[in-house]
Amino acid sequence: MKNINDELLNKYLDEELNREEMNQVKTAIENSPELKKKYEALLSVNTFLKSVESDLPSADFTKKVMGKIKTRKASELQQKYFLFTILSLLGLIVCGITVYVFYEIIISIQASESSDLVSNYSNTIGDYFSSFFGKKNLSIFGSVLSFIMLVSGYFLYDYQKHSKKSFGH
Amino acid sequence: MKNLTDVEIIESVKKGNQADYAVLIDRYKNKAFTMLKRMLKNDFDAEEVLMDCFLKAYNSINTFKFESKFSTWFYRIVYNTALTKLSSTKRKIEIEMSSIDDLHYLESKYLADDFIKADNSLLIKKIVNELPPKNAAVISMFYLEELSTEEISDVLQISVTNVKVILHRSRNLLRELIEKKNLAQEIL
Repeated sequence: MKNINDELLNKYLDEELNREEMNQVKTAIENSPELKKKYEALLSVNTFLKSVESDLPSADFTKKVMGKIKTRKASELQQKYFLFTILSLLGLIVCGITVYVFYEIIISIQASESSDLVSNYSNTIGDYFSSFFGKKNLSIFGSVLSFIMLVSGYFLYDYQKHSKKSFGH
Repeated sequence: MKNLTDVEIIESVKKGNQADYAVLIDRYKNKAFTMLKRMLKNDFDAEEVLMDCFLKAYNSINTFKFESKFSTWFYRIVYNTALTKLSSTKRKIEIEMSSIDDLHYLESKYLADDFIKADNSLLIKKIVNELPPKNAAVISMFYLEELSTEEISDVLQISVTNVKVILHRSRNLLRELIEKKNLAQEIL
């Protein structure tokens, strides 16, 4: 019979030994008052640990968590609306510019009395875009767009920071 | 709703029924709170971390693939969040290193104290609440959540053998204290 150490006693308690080993430990416990005391103490620890009841968080815990989830969802929705508004604004600006360009083209076409409509069209469009995206206009156009992007970026960052803060508390 | 399985509730939440998540919270909050309280040794921190865990789980619920039980997945979040909380006040390496020393410390503390006269269950409860974080987590998951040693190893990301070593060591500490206390009572 091998020495019944703490490890074996724990395995016996958890029924992790094979049948032969289980019988060996059982016999050893029955024959040794010292080992019996040890096992009984282990058994009482095990019984107590099984019977311990859970501690309880505050009574409105579930409500608090669900409230935070709702707040977060609402702020995500607001964030979506915000992004949608910014993108719509940018879209409107681009549309406005495009409409303006085409309007100018049509006016210039009507003004010129050329018979070669197609070549005139392409020339005018080419001229117009080259003048619009020419060095001077391009820098103004770029600056305006960058400004809009910077402003919206700042507001987006600020909004995210704010919503994160309110979600955390 | 309360009779539904975790899988059914998660599927419902994934479909957009946000309110069903409350059932999962009610199902796990007490046991997870007890585990956190034992790990963090503080009611306030335990509740704060628990709230964080439920929010994390909710935000990641769409990534939950049902490859493991929800409890295993959720307790992994709980354990890791508790460790993060602990490491913010104490370096993680110190937490790991202190485990064995803490057991010796507890043994000497409770034998030196006048706990000899205390009730066994009261003594065990007190010591369990003072176990090092990893031991406390293993004891809580094994006895309260009734997770198997395999599931605990999955949660803690350590081997099953290590889980058993931690479990046995914690139980042996409690057993030795009970034995010595009983012996002291007999002498007295």
